[in-house]
Amino acid sequence: MASFQILPVIENRVVGPYTLLRVEDKKMHSIAKCGHFIMVGLPNSMDPFLLRPISFLSVDEKSFTILIKVKGKGTEKLSKVKEGESLKILGPLGKALEPPENGILIAGGIGIAPLYYQSEWMKSGVLFYGAKREKDLVFKEEIKDRGFIVNTISEEKRGTVVDLISENLNFLKGKKTFVCGPESMIKELKGIIGDYAKDTFVYIERRMGCGLGGCKSCAVKVYSEYKLVCQDGPIFPLHEVKFD
Amino acid sequence: MIDLTVSFNGIKLKNPIILASGVWDLPYTEIVDFNKLGGVVYKGISLKPREGNPTPRITETPCGVINSIGLANKGVENFNKEVLPLLKKFDTAIFVNIFGESIEDFSRISEKISDVSGIEVNISCPNVKKGGVSFGRDPKTAYAITKAVCKNTSLPVIVKLTPAASNIVEIAQACLDGGASAVTACNTFQGLVIDIESKKPLFDKVVGGVSGPAIKPQALYKIYQISKGVEIPVIGSGGITNYKDVLEYLIAGAKSIQLGSVIFNNPLAPMEIIDNIIKYMNEKGYRNLKDIRECIDE
Repeated sequence: MASFQILPVIENRVVGPYTLLRVEDKKMHSIAKCGHFIMVGLPNSMDPFLLRPISFLSVDEKSFTILIKVKGKGTEKLSKVKEGESLKILGPLGKALEPPENGILIAGGIGIAPLYYQSEWMKSGVLFYGAKREKDLVFKEEIKDRGFIVNTISEEKRGTVVDLISENLNFLKGKKTFVCGPESMIKELKGIIGDYAKDTFVYIERRMGCGLGGCKSCAVKVYSEYKLVCQDGPIFPLHEVKFD
Repeated sequence: MIDLTVSFNGIKLKNPIILASGVWDLPYTEIVDFNKLGGVVYKGISLKPREGNPTPRITETPCGVINSIGLANKGVENFNKEVLPLLKKFDTAIFVNIFGESIEDFSRISEKISDVSGIEVNISCPNVKKGGVSFGRDPKTAYAITKAVCKNTSLPVIVKLTPAASNIVEIAQACLDGGASAVTACNTFQGLVIDIESKKPLFDKVVGGVSGPAIKPQALYKIYQISKGVEIPVIGSGGITNYKDVLEYLIAGAKSIQLGSVIFNNPLAPMEIIDNIIKYMNEKGYRNLKDIRECIDE
């Protein structure tokens, strides 16, 4: 069951091109599940007005972490929250996922965050992971330590994660695959994986107003009807999602 | 003992705080204490389900939000079967906002609604091709729709007005003449956001509806104008985020108020506002809402 709380930030550190925030919360561990996300905002602030939907990076018994990529004014302010300051947190939200024991993860850029959290719920698997620069490929060692085979690629050296998948399509055979990254990457990926899309699941990102199914903003076309990312997602079967 | 009750034209509320249509759905009952609210208005429903507009449907403006949802809803049958029974469990007045693309639509949908505290007629949505703002700008259409709904229901009828009307007082008068018990003023203000990368409007339907604190003074003035000009109870709505905003609306003439976008910023705002009104009244020695209201002179 979701709750809305003002919670203290106990760590703010730079991880590659991102900011990692650790939030103190002893309750989240017992309710957060794989696939869940939270809405995050600044207390006593109307600017930005909306909270931001952000995936868990990790959840433990005393705290949880999120990864921030500065995209605009809202994420910039969030990235500057200091230790000892607080955040508004609404969550956990979304539909939980039953992750397989073993499967394929495909991450593009900050798409690594929810997949890193998902890897915690799995025993083993293969991660295909792409970013713009080599030094942006954060958390690859940690995922390796969790029993995953990790294949990375960077645009500055060789190409994109879509290139990496097209070279390794056979890995997807008979496996459940989970994808998180920019929508352009997901669309390209859908174009090359063919029938494997049936066993592939994608984390969808949308502008959100409330996170609780109230405003109907975060619509995604699934087959021919709109679903809400905050209520029906954020994870959807890739072959069912219709991109614009 | 402080008395927060409000009563006008068959509408009775235990306090003046109503959750507006379009910002909440059933999952909010986990976060917001519905038993504490004066009332709730369920999001605009139509005869048949509507899928709504393509995305993006929402973005921020300075101190506010602009949306282009397009009245996505599952239709009146779903409301009666799936939503209303769950809302009835709460000790609060339930209203339902209805939307139609024609006068006949409004007539037919109002026949299908019962067992609620009132119907809020939406002639003010800026995000639809047919109906919406175009109905709410024309006094004759506003009158005809109000009359048609009132003819088909014994429930109190509230008409939700658009600030896009060139003379909102005239529209409120038309609603009164058509038999409305009250008006809600007002719906979102029409606005535009341009994506400077694509050099196109952000929203597929071009125009969006602006809400949030950015529109409070504009909306408040509309409430003041209607209260001064027409003998109809006004439910004030637009950019309210704290108890002081509520006081402004009550003093300007609103009988009760609706909270909308503020719950995106702080889902606990409705309860905090009610607590703060009680605290304020205690401090001032006020016993009821009449004590708060003063007449604003021209």
